[in-house]
Amino acid sequence: MPPAGPKDPPSLSENHGIIPVTVLYCPVCSLPAEYCEFGPDFEKCKPWLINNAPQLYPDLLKDANEKEAEKVSEKLQSAGISSAGADGAVSSAQSGETSSKQEEVKRLPGGKIKKKDKHEVVIEKVVRNRRKCITVVKGLELFGVKLSDASKKLGKKFATGASVVKGPTEKEQIDVQGDVAYDIVDFITETWPDVPEAAIFFIEDGKKVPAA
Amino acid sequence: MFKKFSSEEVSAQNQVKASVQRKIRQSIAEEYPGLEPVLDDLLPKKAPLIVAKCQNHLNLVLVNNVPLFFNIRDGPYMPTLRLLHQYPNIMKKLQVDRGAIKFVLSGANIMCPGLTSPGGALDDEVEAETPVAIMAEGKQHALAIGFTKMSAKDIRNINKGIGVDNMHYLNDGLWKHHLNF
Repeated sequence: MPPAGPKDPPSLSENHGIIPVTVLYCPVCSLPAEYCEFGPDFEKCKPWLINNAPQLYPDLLKDANEKEAEKVSEKLQSAGISSAGADGAVSSAQSGETSSKQEEVKRLPGGKIKKKDKHEVVIEKVVRNRRKCITVVKGLELFGVKLSDASKKLGKKFATGASVVKGPTEKEQIDVQGDVAYDIVDFITETWPDVPEAAIFFIEDGKKVPAA
Repeated sequence: MFKKFSSEEVSAQNQVKASVQRKIRQSIAEEYPGLEPVLDDLLPKKAPLIVAKCQNHLNLVLVNNVPLFFNIRDGPYMPTLRLLHQYPNIMKKLQVDRGAIKFVLSGANIMCPGLTSPGGALDDEVEAETPVAIMAEGKQHALAIGFTKMSAKDIRNINKGIGVDNMHYLNDGLWKHHLNF
């Protein structure tokens, strides 16, 4: 192997010419994008594929455009046909559109829309004695994290006590002894990659976006 | 082979001593000369190398809780598919035709006709009992990692029976649980 001299461009001398290939993995089926058709649910992969890897499945783009064109022509038709009762038709077309959007929003039994699904993790510092404080972590369950597991890990990591506490009805929170607010952010994002940094908020008389 | 795999299958996880670590490094360097330049990055000498022992005499080599290689019963070390995707040229490649893809993806072994049909490709130098990368017709990335049962010449001549054992394939247990260590 030739020695890396000072004239070598930095990338070559680092890896001696071998650079790892970055593979585009589909977030839905975890396979490389070209294998999505063999994955468990190709339909779910399709919207992501259209945005991120259209060159692999050019037929998808055509299909998507065709479907959109069909929808628009349907609406025009329904609006045109009952132009006598125009208001009724337009509102039905509009409600048709909004109902398709509402499919994604959760519906509580009873018809009310579940609005309060704020996927946030809130970290708060509470002063216990004059120099001792507790860091309170709320909202981890919204990301599918088991609180008992989480409190054990937190306690181990920071070598302090951590416990699961019931807040004012329903919402449980984790209390960690000591002031670990800033370190917690890193630890949470590392251990539970589902939690994005942007979803964590500190409480400082209002809410603040984290990562310091 | 990894059809069912989860953290329950792991019976023990030990950090290995430096001597064992050196042996593992050596056998990997021998088996995959293409990996030599980056071997220091992948398997640093100072980093704790953990071997997880699993059922069926399976050993997983982990660095930073990420499985990189595995072997069965002191056989040759084989890279995990994620690693192979990053460094595609370290192993010899055999290609199967399109019809075989979905069978391989459910763990089936690779039969000779899949390799000798028009959609398949064989590398004639490949001997029996070697780890190879299985590619798919029309795809850029490896589909699976196999262990040849017959040499490429035998596969071409005999053209019957199992040609390559399917050791590790996309979306199998190891692929799905690669972070759960």
